[in-house]
Amino acid sequence: MAGTNPLIRDRDVDFQLYEVHDAEQLCKLPHFAEHTREIFDLWLRSAAKLAREQFYPAFKPMDEKGAELIDGRIKSPEGMAELFDAAVDLGLITAARPESVGGSQLPLTVSVVGYLYLMAGNSGAVGYPLLTAGAAHLIESFGSEALKATFMKRMYAGEWVGTMSLTEPGAGSGLGDITSTATPIEGREAEGAHHIRGSKIFISGGDLDFRDNIVHLTLARRPGDPPGVKGISLFAVPRLRPSAGLEDPSNEDAGEGEIAVEFNDVHTSQLIHKIGWKGLPSLGLSYGEADDCVGWIVGEPCRGLSYMFQMMNEARILVGANGTATASAAYHQSVDYARERKQGRSLDPRQKTKEPIPIIEHPDVKRMLLRQKAIVEASMCLVMTASRYNDVAEHGANEGDRKRARMILDILTPITKTFPAERGFESTSLALQIHGGYGYSSEYLPELWFREQRLNSIHEGTTTIQGLDLLGRKVVANMGQSLMVLMEEIRADIEVARKDGVDEALCEAVKIEVARVGGLTQVLGQRGMSGDVLGMMAHSHDYLCLFSNFIVAWQWLRMAGAASRGLTEAHDPDSEAFYRAKLEAARYWIRTELPDNARLAELCESNEDSYLKVPDSAW
Amino acid sequence: MTKILVTVKRIPDPDENLKFANGGLDLSSVKWVPNAFDEYAVETALRLAEDVGSKKTKHAEIIVLSICPAKQRQHMTQFLAMGGDRGVIVDANDADYDTAAIAKMIAKVAQDEGVDMVITGKLSQDNEGNQVGQRVAALLGWPQACFAAEVDWDQGSNSLKVAREVDDGVETKQVPLPALVTVDLRVVLPTSVRNGINPADHKFTDGPRLASLRGITMAKRKKVKTVTPADLGVESAGGEKTTTINKPAARAAGQMVGSVEELVEKLATEAKVL
Repeated sequence: MAGTNPLIRDRDVDFQLYEVHDAEQLCKLPHFAEHTREIFDLWLRSAAKLAREQFYPAFKPMDEKGAELIDGRIKSPEGMAELFDAAVDLGLITAARPESVGGSQLPLTVSVVGYLYLMAGNSGAVGYPLLTAGAAHLIESFGSEALKATFMKRMYAGEWVGTMSLTEPGAGSGLGDITSTATPIEGREAEGAHHIRGSKIFISGGDLDFRDNIVHLTLARRPGDPPGVKGISLFAVPRLRPSAGLEDPSNEDAGEGEIAVEFNDVHTSQLIHKIGWKGLPSLGLSYGEADDCVGWIVGEPCRGLSYMFQMMNEARILVGANGTATASAAYHQSVDYARERKQGRSLDPRQKTKEPIPIIEHPDVKRMLLRQKAIVEASMCLVMTASRYNDVAEHGANEGDRKRARMILDILTPITKTFPAERGFESTSLALQIHGGYGYSSEYLPELWFREQRLNSIHEGTTTIQGLDLLGRKVVANMGQSLMVLMEEIRADIEVARKDGVDEALCEAVKIEVARVGGLTQVLGQRGMSGDVLGMMAHSHDYLCLFSNFIVAWQWLRMAGAASRGLTEAHDPDSEAFYRAKLEAARYWIRTELPDNARLAELCESNEDSYLKVPDSAW
Repeated sequence: MTKILVTVKRIPDPDENLKFANGGLDLSSVKWVPNAFDEYAVETALRLAEDVGSKKTKHAEIIVLSICPAKQRQHMTQFLAMGGDRGVIVDANDADYDTAAIAKMIAKVAQDEGVDMVITGKLSQDNEGNQVGQRVAALLGWPQACFAAEVDWDQGSNSLKVAREVDDGVETKQVPLPALVTVDLRVVLPTSVRNGINPADHKFTDGPRLASLRGITMAKRKKVKTVTPADLGVESAGGEKTTTINKPAARAAGQMVGSVEELVEKLATEAKVL
């Protein structure tokens, strides 16, 4: 199956990194000073190679035979062990982590591209390294030195893996309602040891057969702590616990080599049958059935959810990366198919041949391809924009830069999570459509990408949650201050695009949206302030769609600017075609998709309330 | 410690279409990539040097040699990132020198460094010359084992047993060190290279290893010596000359014929091949 699908096109990566996002500029920040373009390029070449030669060939076989639950343990799909080893060797887990914890301090702007390649090859297989990195990062940020020595070091080394263990059967999006408990163990208060009891569900990668130990970063409530989100604490709960307790971090070789472990009463209770991502099993876990499950508190009590939220920006950017990657692989496959598949005759009277023509020559197929291209490349640009703000928010030259970047990132995060997932699903659906009847058959890959992509609208906060987050928390709650900073940035970019020679009509169209989004936000904000919160939030989804269309138009304007600059220096037909296609995709988005914002704004403003008025009994 | 010299070259990406201009190749916008057979050569050297039981023990020092413009050395960084210990760059445009001149430079570096083995790819994918390895062995007066599919290093008898890909199968040859080996595709299968220290059934990962992020950042700190062709006693580019390189003529459209008779007629009168 290792065909010619590039998954992510290298030329697009270069364009994004160096012509749109100026990744080399990041090397001027002290935190990234050791890096150079050569390092970025060499590492990404390794990632692309790994994706194309190992992750992608394993994709369909893993879908056909995923993980199995046998006698209470997970048997991982064939090949998963090798892929995990390869991802660890590549340096994926610690790519963006600081040198002080054994990382390479790569900007997220670059490491996210490594993820893009691998996700486009095989989403599920990337799950284990990605979740391990996230779980270890939580311990790095908030855990004690003993937790870091015992768990984090081994997870960053890829010796143990990790999960995020949040959801319960009765508490998914509403985490305030979790019922898992953590009871302090008498005499072991100093090390933060608790007895954990409870059940979790939908725990991705919650068990495996290619590593002995797995550390679940688990949310639970201590006795006496307040109900709701304010009483939730975070615990590190391993499947196998160190027999002698946590390691002493003052020992030089703490966290290295083998240590004695024993079973920690964590059970795999259920393997959920699902429609995609079969390389990464989604499990039910049960803790403390024999009252012998020990978890160590991470950070302060009752701060569990806020710790999780601090990790959320990055996690949500990576879901956006996944939506982008899946849609990208499907797009390239449909281009390839449309060039080869011959059906129908040309409508062009100048075309003399009476033979069937490749379907790529039919205008409506071109329309579907350009829509995919516009969605895929804008998604990629958006993911990298958010990653770059994340890099500056964490490592910017001064507090002013960092704060500004953080404010913009906060607003961009729900959009970066949602747009590649929602529109990426439409894009993947178009790839299936272009394949016709073959697309609907499981012989071909588009239906598989279609199933895989569907998850991205659900995990790490559903689209509904992202809509509420954007309008309620990110825009209105801070009185539109973050929005103002973002708008300044966009207005400045419109001027840059003008100077680069981008079509005036396109620049103007985006400028009109700046005013529209600003005006609409004021109307909704005032509605909320006056006490009508339901009225403000009833169209949170439409607001999210409108905002996303606008942000994506901004991305296309930036790409159009870079393409215009590139065109002036391009002296071979391939480069010229590359840049011209970017300009057409920008025009497509702004002329064809962006006008939908007038309708969406009208729905929000008029507070169209048909769905609120349907009598409950009539659903 | 045993020293292994591995030669490496950068080539225009073979997956991209060639561009032609002014009777030659237009290389102004090509993407340069390492020659795949050189990746196999470095992988072979790494497997010979490695002790899989102890990361700290190594059985050979690996010197990576490339003839390339000194500033265009990304491929060198990649090979050092894979695990090469240090590099030597001959600062020159390799395309300006013929294979005889290139071979002289390599042989001189091998002598100056006092290496025990030279490992090269069997050929470079751009012009597929398949000459350099053999020429270097001749200049050094060393035994050669070309197109290696398997390599066994017997450290006791200081020799290599090499299984070579030949037209009618595989031929096994024993060569005393110092020697030169050129490697073929199958040398990177999981059990193709043995150094007598690692368990005979040890399985390496299939294919040449990737440059890891850690390897790449470490590679930036490894020593790379730069010399010129003149330093190596090579003053002339050699006697080979390329006159022109042109794209093959496009194939003309075919004709449909109505009968065998018509076909024979056309072959005889139009194509004049009968």
